[in-house]
Order: sequence, then C-alpha cells, then structure tokens
Amino acid sequence: MKKFLQNKKLLSAFIIVVVILVVLGGSVSLRNKRNTPLFVQSFGNDVVAVGSRIVDVPLDLISGGLNNVNSILNAEQENNYLKSKVTDLGQTQAKNQVLSEENRQLKSALKLKDTLTSYSLVNASVISRSSDTWSDLLVINKGSSSGVQKNQAVMCGGGVIGRVIEVSAASAKVELITTTDKSANRFAVQATNDEGKVVHGIITVNNGNLAFTQVVDSRKLKKGTKVYTSGMGGNSPKGLLIGTVAETTRDSYGLSNLINIKPAGEINDPSVLTVVVRKVAN
Amino acid sequence: MRIFREWVLAIALYVALVLDGSLAFYLHQFQNWHGYGASCWLMPIGIMLIALFDDMNDKEIWLALGAGVVADIYNFGIVGVYTVFFPLACWCCQKIARFLPETFWARLIIVLLGLTLLDAFVWLILNMVGLISTSLRTLLISLALNLVWSLIFFCLSYAVWANLSTRYPFLVDLEAYRQ
Repeated sequence: MKKFLQNKKLLSAFIIVVVILVVLGGSVSLRNKRNTPLFVQSFGNDVVAVGSRIVDVPLDLISGGLNNVNSILNAEQENNYLKSKVTDLGQTQAKNQVLSEENRQLKSALKLKDTLTSYSLVNASVISRSSDTWSDLLVINKGSSSGVQKNQAVMCGGGVIGRVIEVSAASAKVELITTTDKSANRFAVQATNDEGKVVHGIITVNNGNLAFTQVVDSRKLKKGTKVYTSGMGGNSPKGLLIGTVAETTRDSYGLSNLINIKPAGEINDPSVLTVVVRKVAN
Repeated sequence: MRIFREWVLAIALYVALVLDGSLAFYLHQFQNWHGYGASCWLMPIGIMLIALFDDMNDKEIWLALGAGVVADIYNFGIVGVYTVFFPLACWCCQKIARFLPETFWARLIIVLLGLTLLDAFVWLILNMVGLISTSLRTLLISLALNLVWSLIFFCLSYAVWANLSTRYPFLVDLEAYRQ
C-alpha cells in the first residue's frame, strides 16, 4: 500500500479512473432522473442543433431531389393503390364524423372533459441522428418552447416510433422504440382478440424485433391483430397504433408467450415526426 | 482575425460533429445491414488526424477533451465516453506520430485502428451503464461494417484535416511567425 501511494503515476491513473467512473455514473443517474437536463447540457444541445439545422438545408435538398425521382418512378403503382382506397374513403370519413359527434355528446352528457384518448399534436422535423451505431437517438427541431416534454410518445408514418427522453429549449432527443436501453420507459399496450377480450402487456425488444410481453392469454391473438397503447403507463394517451402481431413464440425460458410485433411507424427513415401531448395529467 | 485563425480547428470540429449527426440521419439506410450498423465518425477521424499531423502541440489534447464533452452531451446525454477517448486518442496519436512515416497509408492504418477501438469502447461503456444491451457478435460484425464506412470518410476528409491542421494549429497563430 505504501509503495502504491508513493508511485505518483499509478496513483494519478487510479484517481483519474475513479473520477471518470463517478462522472459517468452521475451523468447516467441525472439522465434518467431529471425531467429537464442541466442548463449547460441544454445549452450545448441547442448550440449543436442550430448548426444541424443549417447543415440540414442543403442535405435535405439533395435527399429530397433523390426521393422525388424515386416517387416519379413509383407513381403508377402508387396511383393504382390509391384509386382502390379512394372508394372506401368517403364512407370512412362519414362514419368517423358521426362517431366523433356521438363521442363528444356522450362525454358532454357524462361531464367528462379529457379522457385517456384525448391528446394534441406537435409536428417536428428530424435534424440529426446519433452518429454511433449503438444508440437509437434522433434529434428533432422542437423543444420545451413548443410544449414538448420528457416521456411523450412520438409517431411517424402512422405508428409510434419512440419517446422523448431529453428536452432542451429548441430541440429534443427521441429514443426509438427499438432501443435496448434497460432504463427506457416501455409502452403499456393492449390488443383485442377475436372473442373481444382485451389483452394487456408492454412493448419490449427481443433480438432486434419489437415484442408484446407480459401477456396472460396471448395465444388467442392472431397474426395481423392491431396493438395500441393502453394509456395505462401514465405518459402516452390511449389508442396510438404500435403495430400488428407478426408471430407468437415462447420466450427463452419456455414459460411465457412472446408476441413479435411488426411496427406500424416508419422507424428506419423518419423525417417528419409528430409528438403526442397527452391531455390527462399523469 | 488572429483569434479566428487560432480557433479554426475548434470550429472545424464543431462542423464535423454537426455533419456526423446529419450524415448519420441521411445515410442510416445505407449504413445498416440486417440489424448491424456502422457509425458516422468525421469528428474522431479529425481529432486523430490533427494529432498525427501536428504532434508537438499539447493544447490539442485540451481541444480533444472539450470536443469530447460536447460530443458526449449531444450524442448520449452522459459524460464519459468521448470525453475519455478523444484526449487519450489524441495523446496516443501524437506519441505514435513521432516514429510513424508521414504517409497517407500509415495514417490510414492508425486511424482505422483507433476507430475500431472507439467503436468497441463505446459498445463497452454503453453496455456497462445499461444504455444498450447488444451481443458481442453484433459488435464484431458491426466493426467490419464500421471499417468500410470509416475508410470512405477518411479518404473524403483527409485533405481537409491535413490542410487545416498544418495551416491553423490550435491556439497558435502562424502569421505571427511569418511577419
């Protein structure tokens, strides 16, 4: 011990390693616990986000041009598909209008203001992505000044793709639903089986795929069944589409069922996102 | 203008950090293959090349430290990944540069080796603190992909970093020596 204390180089290295571990542990703890980041962190995020917005303009033009060419090439196929959908659209719109009005009247009769399905939307653009391959993080151009808060659900392409994990004044970070982060908040979800029974669970990640776990009677969920948020987690509203059931298997211990989900949202190429602001307080 | 010349490298690293994020977003589809992916690392390439080109300037280690803190805050929201690796990589590259041939190929090998170590280091730290949970197999396959993309980024940015680090060393005004 005396030799160790007398060896200045060894002692310095030891102190540096301890300091690094303390800083690392402290910052991870802060990241998970705090609703808003420290001022220095928030300022740093916004300074880099400003640069990202500037760089994004020419890159977006190039990317947009290439996408336009691709869209022109696929125009005929897309047109035929849309024509087949247009015939159903009018009827669906009329039905939705009637149901919305009926829902409003029923809520009014029951004197209900906001329910788990009530939410408002904030549209945002993705300006950056984490440069390393390991963390599934996106940076968007809307922050706390636009009403974005930590843990709000984020949608793209018709389904949920992630959750806000850090909010600065003019930007926010979104963690994708496919993250393997052990401390990430998981979405509480539900699905209705053929018998009309509601099955509850949470969304996890299994070998890179989305999975619906902690389900009691999952066997009755057929392929193609839609999975929605249940609103029970306290952060997301009810009724946001997560995806559809792809297959049902057993977990690695063979004890419970594991349902793989095909995500409905555009996870691989999100450019414009919608942050979902739940109206009912946690 | 004197202050600007002294801080050109810091500004270039900031631009590289911004470009890393933007390129990672636009190239994500091309960088990923069957769940394995590569990283966009113009900034780490820059830090290592700056150290290899200018091995006598100790202030660049502090520049690497500052760049590491900003990159950590922006990319992960935690401090201790790039903050540790960047100054360490800068110091090692400066030491290596003293006996390394001043050729493109020699620097390429060192930088690719450094980026491989960085990828493994990021994987290790993020797994350790629980921010990711991916297997060693995923790491090994991703390392191969990472090498290919790093080679591309190195070739594209080599001339830029060479020019900047020789003409505008950090916190040194070469104009003062020319007058």
